[in-house]
Amino acid sequence: MTEVPPTAAQPEVSGIDASARVPLLLLLGSAILWLIAGGVLALVASIQLHTPEFLGGCAWFTYGRMQAAQETALVYGWAVNAGLAVALWLLARLGGGPMRGAGLAAVGAAFWNLALTLGIAGIFAGDMTGFAFLQMPAYVQPAMLVAYAAIAAAGVLAWTGRRTAFTYATQWYAVAALFIFPWVFSVAQVLLLFVPVHGTLQSVVAAWFGQNLTALVLAPFALAAAYYLLPKISGRVIGHYDYAGHAFWVLLFVGGWAGGRHLIGGPVPAWIATTGIVATMLLLFHFTVVAINLAGVFTARGSTVLRFAALGLAAYVLGGLLDAITAARSMAKLVQFTYISSAQAQLLLGGAVTFAIFGAIYYLAPRLFGKPWPSSALIRAHFGAAALGLVLNVGGLLVAGWIQAGDLAQPAVAFTAIAADTRPWLFAATAGQMLALLGALALAVNFARLLLVRAKQPAETLFRAPAALEVPAS
Amino acid sequence: MKSSPLFFFCLFAALGISLSVFVFGTNAQYGGLGPFADENEGATFPQQPLGLAARGLLVYQDLGCAACHTQQVRRADFGTDKERGWGERQSVARDYVYDDRVLLGDLRAGPDLTNFGQRAANRGQDAAQLMVFLHNGQGAMPAYPFLFSKHKIVGQPIPGALTLPGRPSYELVPTPRVQALAAYLLSLKSDHDYPETARPQPAAPGGEKK
Repeated sequence: MTEVPPTAAQPEVSGIDASARVPLLLLLGSAILWLIAGGVLALVASIQLHTPEFLGGCAWFTYGRMQAAQETALVYGWAVNAGLAVALWLLARLGGGPMRGAGLAAVGAAFWNLALTLGIAGIFAGDMTGFAFLQMPAYVQPAMLVAYAAIAAAGVLAWTGRRTAFTYATQWYAVAALFIFPWVFSVAQVLLLFVPVHGTLQSVVAAWFGQNLTALVLAPFALAAAYYLLPKISGRVIGHYDYAGHAFWVLLFVGGWAGGRHLIGGPVPAWIATTGIVATMLLLFHFTVVAINLAGVFTARGSTVLRFAALGLAAYVLGGLLDAITAARSMAKLVQFTYISSAQAQLLLGGAVTFAIFGAIYYLAPRLFGKPWPSSALIRAHFGAAALGLVLNVGGLLVAGWIQAGDLAQPAVAFTAIAADTRPWLFAATAGQMLALLGALALAVNFARLLLVRAKQPAETLFRAPAALEVPAS
Repeated sequence: MKSSPLFFFCLFAALGISLSVFVFGTNAQYGGLGPFADENEGATFPQQPLGLAARGLLVYQDLGCAACHTQQVRRADFGTDKERGWGERQSVARDYVYDDRVLLGDLRAGPDLTNFGQRAANRGQDAAQLMVFLHNGQGAMPAYPFLFSKHKIVGQPIPGALTLPGRPSYELVPTPRVQALAAYLLSLKSDHDYPETARPQPAAPGGEKK
């Protein structure tokens, strides 16, 4: 299982990237548009938490619908689109051959985003399903399943047709994400929407799906990127790489079980909560190994890409730790149903996944299009706004949740009082959302300019010194 | 890790095990759970929701009420659900057997609604008062004016129209949607004791153990 990761000496421009240009442009372009749309929706939802009358006069903009729409836009629009783009690019590069099935992937990407647009319109019109992470109406979901399969096929082909027998951690995580999503998505569709199971079995299946989607699809996209970027940019080997395989299989075998922690004390068989708690504790092994493997991102200097990856890794490990702490029954009793759960979701999606993908985009886009980023100031602005935004958003929600938990534990405190107590911290979360949106706009402007500007010199000469493409850190 | 077949076999196994246990295992354990026939009362519980209330669940779902309200009472020593008056006993799986879509909820920005109908009855809140509350909102609870049409009273008031406190010349005509929602909320009541909720014995499968 030990092998040397690809080195920076490999040619930076190749037919591999050219073959992937069209589908990746579609995936990345729509991902960035969804990031902005989702950011706006998340901002509105965040405002509505402390100012309920905001946009309240219209059925389309109730908090419930806004919340479902922003979650769908950011998960299925931003994270999945961008995650797929990164995974396909990594698999094609590590596979060592031009991308096969690129045309099919482009068609799939078009249909994925078409169906998603329809799905979000459906949520606003009142067709949301009510299941977390599966809010899109039933009528768009089968089309999205087919579209995903069409996109993922290119990645699986790159894996099976790879030129080298041995495989690297990036490839395991990327292939797992490509493969697991259609499986859990189809199971959830059938058992929740088309032939629904009875009673609280629905809650069990929904928790299982949500856990698989976040821990075994979205997080692996981020891990695939981080395992690739660190050695590639820093030129150093992964520390204690021998354990990476163990971390991977622990995540795969145990990760899906941890969804039960959301049902502690709920009207479901007790063993579901118990296995959920045990699984969450076992995952600490996965987080420890990942932290040791990728610790180099914290010490590497001079690379903005790795700064994004470092923040993503910190959010990932912190999120795992927080999951373990809040899963303990004595803690769950207090913090269940508070904003702390929202903070945990933000830490994984807005932190770990989003930042790792930001890093990957800043690394791959110049290579994909053969042009350097037009503005490194915009990239630094993006990093600053996004980092501060994440801290404010997660921090605000954590403090608000902690106050809410304390108030809920005292039966005499009414909900109007709880709302007043949490209000200042929910304002902080809103400020965080606003900064995150500004950061996303910086990325969008830079990306649009990258596509529009004409390359000043042929890509081959440009890439003779790959460091020139690397975004300077200061 | 060189062998693709072995890799895919393990991937299948990893997902297959969690799928069989979580999805098929739970289904085998209590997928066939039905209502409880209470011989003392000659009726089965929980009671099937009536037409208007059943339609109200759809309104509850499409407005996203479950984003802020839970519908699950936790046991007495686990949180303050009982002290807050949300339910005398914890919710069990049997309470939900008639729900077409189970929306347990995961945030309590507002109170738990498992026994909302019971509480409303206790404080004498009827459908008309509840609808006025939904129109006005209160505190962190937003107003839902779009579920009504509001206009000046001309001649005779429209039958079924509501009046707003302090606005005598206006009438509030509830839409069928809000009538269904109010009927649904007022129907929320799971207080019947089943064998698995009989205190002090430990709960049977399908209920959280004490």
